[in-house]
Amino acid sequence: MSEAHDCAFQRANASFCALCKVREQSICAELDLGEMEDLAKTMAHRPVKEGKALIAEGEENDSLYIVVDGSFRLVRHLVDGRRQIVGFLFRGDYLGMQPTESSFHTAEALEPGLVCRFPHSLLDELSVRHPGIKNRLLARGQTEMHKAEEHIVLLGKKTAEERVMSFLESLRDKNEADDDTIFLSMSRQDVADYLGLRLETLSRTLAVLKKRGDLQEVSGRRITFNGSASD
Amino acid sequence: MNPKWLKYLDVNAPRYTSFPSALFFDERVGADVYESALSRVSMYEPLSLYIHIPFCRQLCWYCGCNMVVENQYERAVRYVDLLIREIEMVADTLGGCGEVVSIHLGGGTPNYLNIEDLGRIFDSIELNLGLTDKANIAIEIDPRLCETGLIKMLTKIGINRLSIGVQDFDSSVQEAINREQPYELVEACVTEMRENAQADISFDLLYGLPRQSTEGFVDTLEKAVSLSPDRISLFGYAHLPSKLKHQRVIDETQLPGKLPRYQLAEMAGRYLVDEGYVCVGFDHFAKPSNSLAVAVHAGTLKRNFQGFTDDIANATIGLGVSSVSLVRGVYAQNIKRSDEYASRVSKGKLPTAKGWIKTMEDEFWAKVISDLLCYGKTDLHEHAHISGGSLSDLMAVSRKRIISLEKDGLAEWRDGIVIIPDQAKHFSRVVAAAFDPYINRGNFSLSQAV
Repeated sequence: MSEAHDCAFQRANASFCALCKVREQSICAELDLGEMEDLAKTMAHRPVKEGKALIAEGEENDSLYIVVDGSFRLVRHLVDGRRQIVGFLFRGDYLGMQPTESSFHTAEALEPGLVCRFPHSLLDELSVRHPGIKNRLLARGQTEMHKAEEHIVLLGKKTAEERVMSFLESLRDKNEADDDTIFLSMSRQDVADYLGLRLETLSRTLAVLKKRGDLQEVSGRRITFNGSASD
Repeated sequence: MNPKWLKYLDVNAPRYTSFPSALFFDERVGADVYESALSRVSMYEPLSLYIHIPFCRQLCWYCGCNMVVENQYERAVRYVDLLIREIEMVADTLGGCGEVVSIHLGGGTPNYLNIEDLGRIFDSIELNLGLTDKANIAIEIDPRLCETGLIKMLTKIGINRLSIGVQDFDSSVQEAINREQPYELVEACVTEMRENAQADISFDLLYGLPRQSTEGFVDTLEKAVSLSPDRISLFGYAHLPSKLKHQRVIDETQLPGKLPRYQLAEMAGRYLVDEGYVCVGFDHFAKPSNSLAVAVHAGTLKRNFQGFTDDIANATIGLGVSSVSLVRGVYAQNIKRSDEYASRVSKGKLPTAKGWIKTMEDEFWAKVISDLLCYGKTDLHEHAHISGGSLSDLMAVSRKRIISLEKDGLAEWRDGIVIIPDQAKHFSRVVAAAFDPYINRGNFSLSQAV
């Protein structure tokens, strides 16, 4: 299942890690240079192909993954085979915070991505020398639990405009480019499912938000906020 | 038929669309208990919604549902306002938990409501509880109120299962039950459904109605099958004139006797199976490719308030007058009278009137009964752990309960496995009732089991 094991970056060096965009958000930030070099020999960025599952629902997972690039959707399967989108992961997000014999959901790459994989056994070892790692993990909270809270708050919103707008804003907050345009890496159907809306309602709501001036442009997967209206 | 079975044709038994039967619900369950059950629903827990629309344009004399003939449409608009209020209250208690996987609109006549009001209900569900394109949405349709264009609009708002109350195509039977709807009307309705790519159309047929004869009912079955519905429910008419005053209009001398009544059911079941339908439970029939037939083979068939279902949800939320909810082992039935329902809901209170909290032992008997109705078979070994009691005690009790049925060939006992022989499946409710520990409590008007 783990595409991440096959990778082109196995020989990557510490300088590659030093350039990592999410280093400050990752546990690597706790390590000294020597250790980073050691780590980089085996740990560095692993590519994940679009559509591939990083961890699979119901299967064992013993590693922490940190998203370096790309995005993932978290999917749970209902008993009749239908899928429930329970969240999305973006750059800097953590996955597999605790080792488990049966993962709670599947994480599928929505686009080609990069992740770092840290076996929990290694993290335990490292934490002895660098207590900061555990603190960092704790501080990240249970990303998965946090995702659940995020989702329940979204689903609790009583108008479609509110649900869609807070979702789009959460994507914009992840946007390091710091501009008002976001690209949806997930399909509209995924967004509708995640927000508990019918596809038609989502489309209608996007149109309403544009008409209302909250959004400047909605064109396929590209959405531009109206800078003045949103501040 | 086995002559020993004759005496069972007089037996009355609950329909076991719930266990215990709603007849035994009491006031110990009120809004507070129901609310606390709702608050235990977890995230993404599949939820099934049942919405009761109690209005009809005209009274059918056989009707046993909670309904009212309504001439002032404004009342229906106000009722929809209340439904929406109830949906909001339920949503507040759920706090974002649960996922709606199926909706069933029953009645009364759901298509008494105009498309705007139906749309308002769905919009409210979507905004308060969440509604996605994956949900199965079913509606019961009175073909007499199915104006051209209605099906197209229903399809557009997401309805993907349609159930038509056919009952019988014979005009003299239709006259005797005050429900005149020529075959052509139903045909036009089905044609429009197919034109809108509806792929799950169900017919309700009733046996045991006045003036029904074997020949006449064969004709009804032929006509029904010619329209190729995806499912057919074949219910026995429940004649309870002491409880339902309007049924007194029905001339009892025209009702088929108990043996002809049984023969109608038996013949109809065989006819539909010969036509390629899969028998689901004992009174539902579905095309082999239909999800209900698939559920039979997958072992996922369930019994719920609509009869047999392939619904994946264990939790049902009932909305509107007299609707029954089942959430986390708690049954909660709403107030039946619409004025009382209105006054409770408009005060912002959940309109629960009564219900039942299932004990572990109830869960055990519920499973046994559901197995018997769905599959004609139950294995006590499989379910004993649910009850918290000892297997040998449960076996002894069960054996004792069916000993006379066994003698008469309605059930077989094979060391803890109870089997209803295929030929006896019309007596499933009789066998199920033998396991019902509440059945002898008090004097209830139960309907004829066969």
